[in-house]
Amino acid sequence: MLLEMKDAVLSYGKIEALHGISVHVEEGEVVSLIGANGAGKTSTMRALSGVRGLSAGSVVFDGQDVTKMRADQRLRKGLVLCPEGRGIFPGMTVTENLNMGAYTRKDKSAIDEDYDRVFDLFPRLLERKKQIAGTMSGGEQQMLAIGRALMSRPKLLMLDEPSMGLAPMLIQQIFDIITEISQQGTTILVVEQNAKQALSRSDRAYVLETGNIVKTGTGPELLDDPSVREAYLGVA
Amino acid sequence: MSQISDSIRGLQIGNRWDRAPKWVRSVGLLLVIAFAFYLPFLNVLPFAYIRTDLNPTGSDWASVLFLIVVYMIAAVGLNVVIGFAGLLDLGYVGFYALGAYSVALFGSPSSPVVEALQSRFGLSDEWAVPFVMCIPIAIAMSLTAGVILGAPTLRLRGDYLAIVTLGFGEIIRITARNLDNVTGGAAGITQVPVPPGPEVDGRSFFNTIDAERWYWLALVILILIVFLASRLEHSRVGRAWLAIREDEDAAAVMGVAGFKFKLWAFAIGASVGGLAGLLFGSKQQYVEPNAFMLNLSFLFVAMVVIGGSGNIVGVLVGAFLLTYLPERFRELQEWRPFAFGLALVLVMVLRPQGLVPSRRRAAEIEDRRHEAEEAAADA
Repeated sequence: MLLEMKDAVLSYGKIEALHGISVHVEEGEVVSLIGANGAGKTSTMRALSGVRGLSAGSVVFDGQDVTKMRADQRLRKGLVLCPEGRGIFPGMTVTENLNMGAYTRKDKSAIDEDYDRVFDLFPRLLERKKQIAGTMSGGEQQMLAIGRALMSRPKLLMLDEPSMGLAPMLIQQIFDIITEISQQGTTILVVEQNAKQALSRSDRAYVLETGNIVKTGTGPELLDDPSVREAYLGVA
Repeated sequence: MSQISDSIRGLQIGNRWDRAPKWVRSVGLLLVIAFAFYLPFLNVLPFAYIRTDLNPTGSDWASVLFLIVVYMIAAVGLNVVIGFAGLLDLGYVGFYALGAYSVALFGSPSSPVVEALQSRFGLSDEWAVPFVMCIPIAIAMSLTAGVILGAPTLRLRGDYLAIVTLGFGEIIRITARNLDNVTGGAAGITQVPVPPGPEVDGRSFFNTIDAERWYWLALVILILIVFLASRLEHSRVGRAWLAIREDEDAAAVMGVAGFKFKLWAFAIGASVGGLAGLLFGSKQQYVEPNAFMLNLSFLFVAMVVIGGSGNIVGVLVGAFLLTYLPERFRELQEWRPFAFGLALVLVMVLRPQGLVPSRRRAAEIEDRRHEAEEAAADA
């Protein structure tokens, strides 16, 4: 098992956002976490990446307990978060943003390989290499955020709402790329509001509601589940 | 106002400068520096109108220049904290005061600290720590204070940090005023040492009359500090600061240890502030708590913000304007606070990124505006 979060409780002051949830990801899988606004999706991501500490529960990554580790320490282990919308550095150029992704790395030649890989996946970024990131469109910024995360060579790439605020065609494109990244051998955990895309692309999925996991199953199973269809796919 | 700024922007000085060949930039820089060194003797009309001592009540020109450069040093140091790392420090005067008090406490033969050392070790009445040794002491003291203040408080963000630092600035001043048997209390400390140098005309090289020498000394230090700060900005540490300033959480998930780098920014900013304070105290040859009121902190912040937070040239311009203009137009003294407030409001409304903005800052402000609009649209 690559990642296992057990009975995680996360609170903001007196408000508890996650009431003891358990999630696990096997090596090579694409796992998604779906849920409505305020279900605790981003909180789960924060807890996993180490941006916020848990008040109870544990996170084990790659056979090591990382519960008490800071975000930057977890990144070095290969647990990498691509934060939600506009999580790029707006004042830096595209290249500088990608550089930040490789901030903790010293293996120059491998970094260059990863540049090529990112520009291969996102030819758009190559065209805009010198552009200030804050001036790009939402879709381009999302591509940059994913590219930057890839620059830290993740073992597990966690994507927080990659489709947020994007046009349907772009959503399709972003998910195509996510599938491609997974085929290249990176394990993926994706958090999404767009349940249809997420479920149809995932091996397994969890449904999150008000800080609890209410359902889990394979992607196709959940796509066929009547209550999921009603609540998240807009079909009765 | 905006027409003027538009026409200045139309000149694209920044872009032209960046694109100019290296030798043009080197020569340009040397000319600016040479002119700066010549400034105290500037006496050719009409340029001499920039002098502050044209009428008999005016301030001594070289002394004003010295003060401008000392404030420039402080502003460049504060820019590391505010401009590079994005931490609002409203107590910067505390570090400035610590620098000035360090050289006074250890370098003046009449300071209570030195007197205690004299009697403890049976030294003569004239003994004191030499000036050159006071420099590392001053830097170490302000750096330590920066770390002590930063370590518990840098986990706070934004406004909370601003309030804590605000308190720090006041604590330093009030402590200096009340700790009579260490700092001399409200009476302050006299006989603050000056830098060593050959005697000229029977006076020491750095004295109270020949202010231009002080100005040149400060200018050399400023050039050094500006060089170091710009090297730092483009280093690995500088990139970490930039990332933290733009998005602290994103920086953390990219592997930037936020706290460590923020503490660095604080410590570096503090030691530069201490150095500026040391120069000030040494030239005055007298240090007293009322020289370090809170409004000086606000003045430093205003220099950075009006000039262009994050851009070293910008903060130099800001420090120059906010020090020079009040001295040049002394006769309008009672209008000073009004003009100051008006200038701040105008800059914030018309040019929130500062007079000489950093390109990144401008993009960040635009990005935040965008985010706010999206949030408003959601609600």
